[in-house]
Amino acid sequence: MEPDGAPTSSVGQTCDVGELIKQGAEARVYSTTFMGRPTIVKERFKKKYRHPTLDKKLTHRRTTREVTAILRCRKSGICTPTVYFVDYESHRIYMENIENSTTVRDYVASEQKETQETNPETLVSLAQKIGTLLATMHDNDVIHGDLTTSNMLLRQPVDSSSPVVLIDFGLSSVSGLHEDKGVDLYVLERAFLSTHPNTENIFEHILVTYRKKSKKSSDVLKKLDEVRMRGRKRSMIG
Amino acid sequence: MASQSYELELFPNCKVTLALFDGVENCQDLKRCIMEGKVDAALLNVSMIIEPFQVLVSANKAFHVQQHGKMKTRNINSEILFNLSPTNNISESFKRFGVSNEDKSLLAVVLNDSNGEKLQRLTEQVEGTRIDMNQLKDFTDEAKIKKVYKIQDTELTNSTLLDAVICRMATKDAS
Repeated sequence: MEPDGAPTSSVGQTCDVGELIKQGAEARVYSTTFMGRPTIVKERFKKKYRHPTLDKKLTHRRTTREVTAILRCRKSGICTPTVYFVDYESHRIYMENIENSTTVRDYVASEQKETQETNPETLVSLAQKIGTLLATMHDNDVIHGDLTTSNMLLRQPVDSSSPVVLIDFGLSSVSGLHEDKGVDLYVLERAFLSTHPNTENIFEHILVTYRKKSKKSSDVLKKLDEVRMRGRKRSMIG
Repeated sequence: MASQSYELELFPNCKVTLALFDGVENCQDLKRCIMEGKVDAALLNVSMIIEPFQVLVSANKAFHVQQHGKMKTRNINSEILFNLSPTNNISESFKRFGVSNEDKSLLAVVLNDSNGEKLQRLTEQVEGTRIDMNQLKDFTDEAKIKKVYKIQDTELTNSTLLDAVICRMATKDAS
């Protein structure tokens, strides 16, 4: 019963791995328990359009990159799920399911709604936490690859001491290049500003904290400016 | 409970039994018995164990690699020792996580002991007393664990020691 790229079950259904809770382009995410602990299983499925040898190599590489990034971040004090077991045969990662949490995405949306302010203190403090987290991560040469507010969690109850938990390292890599770090920040900027209207100031707080806390920030932020100039409908004159 | 048995979700027919012994006088003999194949158990250095979960994670991986013919050591018991280690050096893992000759306590791991015979046989060979598994934490040496697993205090600001250890065990093959 090998997963072959085509979804064999729909979200909400339970199979031998667990209950399917998300289906992405590259992997399925299941919910189950591991020794009684609530667990997420991330299963990368085969891509039949690829040559099988290449597919196996790529999938293996992606899996190892993901867990390496998680461990590397952990070591520098960043909150990540604990990896319990990696099954390299079926490309499954068994990791801690962070229960009773809210995504930063939902939190920002609800705070904006509740306070009706543009710069509520809670969001400024959150921005500082995110800025510090990104500075630490980049100073350790980890590129997340998919920074969005949906990939950041806050354990409930959310208060000033709650750390931000970073998840979904599926597109991570290790790199010291300022370009890669700049792009990483740009991805977050675009995701942040498009998801949360009127948060330019909040995002600016993230960058200000990043600049303060990161040792190589000026080069990275310079690259961020350059990256912003690229893309559709943008003049490369600068 | 004098000993505790666990079933692994991923290997429903496999049973893992843990038993704690103290006042042990014959660790050297027991080690020799293991080498000679007379003891079917893994004898762990208790000071390196935080909680049974740590051992279960190791056993889970051991069953997995055995099933796929990918064990790195000779048998599944030695594989459990190897999986506990943060490095891929086999002899180092035996030295660090297995009992030493002078140890006075040990944690025994017996696999697939459906009728308790293996544990019974082992208990007869150990010159020591079986004590309650709840006392495991009394033997845990956190400072030594931090040193062996190379865990800095930065990591522990947002994580438990157990999680730091488990994550290293689980991601060992990735690099």
